[in-house]
Amino acid sequence: MPSRRQFIAGVLAAGVAPAPGWAEAGRPRYVSAARKPDQTYALIGLTNEAKIAFDLPLPARGHAAAAHPHRSEAVMFARRPGIYALVINCVSGVPIVQLDAPPGRHFYGHCAFSGDGTLLFTTENDFDRAVGIVGIWDATKGYTRIGEFHSGGVGPHDIRVMPDGVSLVVANGGIETHPETGRAKLNLPTMRPNLATLGLDGAPLALTELDETLHKNSIRHLATGLDGSVAFAMQWQGDAFEHPPLIGLRRPDSSVVLLEADLASQQRMQGYAGSIAMDDTGRVATTSPRGGLCQVFDTASGELTTSVALTDVCGVALSDTGFAVTTGQGFVSLDVGLTDQALSRFDLQWDNHLIDIRIPKA
Amino acid sequence: MLKHLLAAALFVTPGLVQAGDITRIVDAHILPGYQSLASTTAELSDVAQDDCSPENEALRSAYHQAFDAWISVSHLRFGPSEEEQRGFALYFWPDVRGVTQKTLTTMIVDEDPFVHEADAFPTVSVAVRGFLALEFLLYDPSFQDVGTPEYRCALLRAIAADTALSSAHILEGWNESHAELMKEAGSNDTYRSEQEALRQAFTALTTGLEFTADARLGRPLGTFDRPRPKRAEARRSGRSLHHVILSLEATRALAAMISEDDAALDALFADAIERANSLDDPVFAGVADPQGRFRVEVLQQSVNEIRRAVATEVGPSLGVEAGFNSLDGD
Repeated sequence: MPSRRQFIAGVLAAGVAPAPGWAEAGRPRYVSAARKPDQTYALIGLTNEAKIAFDLPLPARGHAAAAHPHRSEAVMFARRPGIYALVINCVSGVPIVQLDAPPGRHFYGHCAFSGDGTLLFTTENDFDRAVGIVGIWDATKGYTRIGEFHSGGVGPHDIRVMPDGVSLVVANGGIETHPETGRAKLNLPTMRPNLATLGLDGAPLALTELDETLHKNSIRHLATGLDGSVAFAMQWQGDAFEHPPLIGLRRPDSSVVLLEADLASQQRMQGYAGSIAMDDTGRVATTSPRGGLCQVFDTASGELTTSVALTDVCGVALSDTGFAVTTGQGFVSLDVGLTDQALSRFDLQWDNHLIDIRIPKA
Repeated sequence: MLKHLLAAALFVTPGLVQAGDITRIVDAHILPGYQSLASTTAELSDVAQDDCSPENEALRSAYHQAFDAWISVSHLRFGPSEEEQRGFALYFWPDVRGVTQKTLTTMIVDEDPFVHEADAFPTVSVAVRGFLALEFLLYDPSFQDVGTPEYRCALLRAIAADTALSSAHILEGWNESHAELMKEAGSNDTYRSEQEALRQAFTALTTGLEFTADARLGRPLGTFDRPRPKRAEARRSGRSLHHVILSLEATRALAAMISEDDAALDALFADAIERANSLDDPVFAGVADPQGRFRVEVLQQSVNEIRRAVATEVGPSLGVEAGFNSLDGD
């Protein structure tokens, strides 16, 4: 007699059952990719108690990018050059569909579902024109591509649907690359990153640029607040011995606050913030894998309130009591602010991002 | 004979192999270095109180000795030197935007009263504290005309006293707690195992070498099309090349302790130091012409050779591996 899991997998493969929800996948709160000791890769579901909800094999290293709000489906991007993504059924472990970047495009490794889960938005590079693109995929029809629009800048990286459900925010990192020149950054002297707010149809709603002196601060990763604030994490492409702020907050009135720690911490971060998360009280948590630091800022005062040293920390997301973080050494903390909180350790190397399945709505 | 015994031990207990002796690193490298910094900066402050004139040879000599002591510990950027920004207060370099010169000039022109309040001085910008602020006052001719001699004298004395105080605090931090934390690694949360303490020392070694290659040599080198001789470290006091040598000597000593006197590694240090000694270009002015540039590049390559050996030979024996996320980039 097949187990329930095998049964569901079989039915799904036959394509007749309604898609399973997250309950069937073991009620995970988070999804993350990880490397196992045998050097294979897996997609892992983590519960609110830091227990493993599912553990599914992946064909190669990739970044978990988004989780469907209702269905137990996660989107994984292949790493460079990023020409495909997989939507994985987190109950059966079977890839439901492969998303192929259209000709002349590659993915940047981030995507977002609309609040109702019907649409998926992917960030892409139209590399011959050096134009950032947002691709639209219909999640109700097997993730068929149904359109695209300009991202509002060059090198779009992270993308989020705003809590209002009717707009998107895109981190246009500003860096131009082309597959023929690999990872070479082609426009550092003139790069101009921005934070673009767009309608779900691509209509430009707002554009935020930083001061000219920070034009080499590539805006990369995002977190949104219920009030419409957007927190962003940056990667500095300028002089390696300068230590500019790497975290910013755009308030609903479009004003921008930059957040920075003491000079020693800023230096330790080596111009690189990895991931970011924000809670409803305006606290922002960010990780720096190069500096082995997780920092929490109070955006009202601009003060650094918590700084925890964790080697190779990168994933960060909201948790029930604060912020959850994951590290490349296998550690998971469900409340990084509480230093006496025991860390859970897994025989896994957690990859860059910790995806929170729970999507806040205004 | 000892070598054979060691080899046998290595053979039978491969899992327990651990290079480096943390007690030796603390007692023979870190503590003497910071003791020297504390005593030479105290002397510098005393001499400045006696006679603050920039032409005072005793003052310049005391300055060089204290600066030497700092460069010889400047790779040890962890623990007490990182508390209260002490390391930055002693040494703010590279100063990419020229903040020291600007802020110092403003302070002198405005006769900022901070100089008369010893308690308040540590609250001023790190850019106007420490060795490079002193260097402007002692060696930059343009500073001989700014503001009044009285104020400049008071400022120099205040910075010298503050430098001595920061150095004394770092030494105190080491003597009162950090030395024990490292030596008793495994029984505290700062160093949860001896290996963690060794990794800290290893990190100091690698970042010190990286700084010498990328900042001390790399910044004046700039690019072939745009060499940047004016970016040379402490060029006003003529110390740029001297810093490379001092730092190589200090990291060589630490490398020997971490690697249990690895002779091949030591030979790489000897080679780089010999190249530096024969360079005859104290402030890297030569980077602006192709021949002079080539010689500085060769020196930089020899430092990078050391870095490669440290990363591939020494790192693995300490269980140091490159980070899964920190090296990936996204």
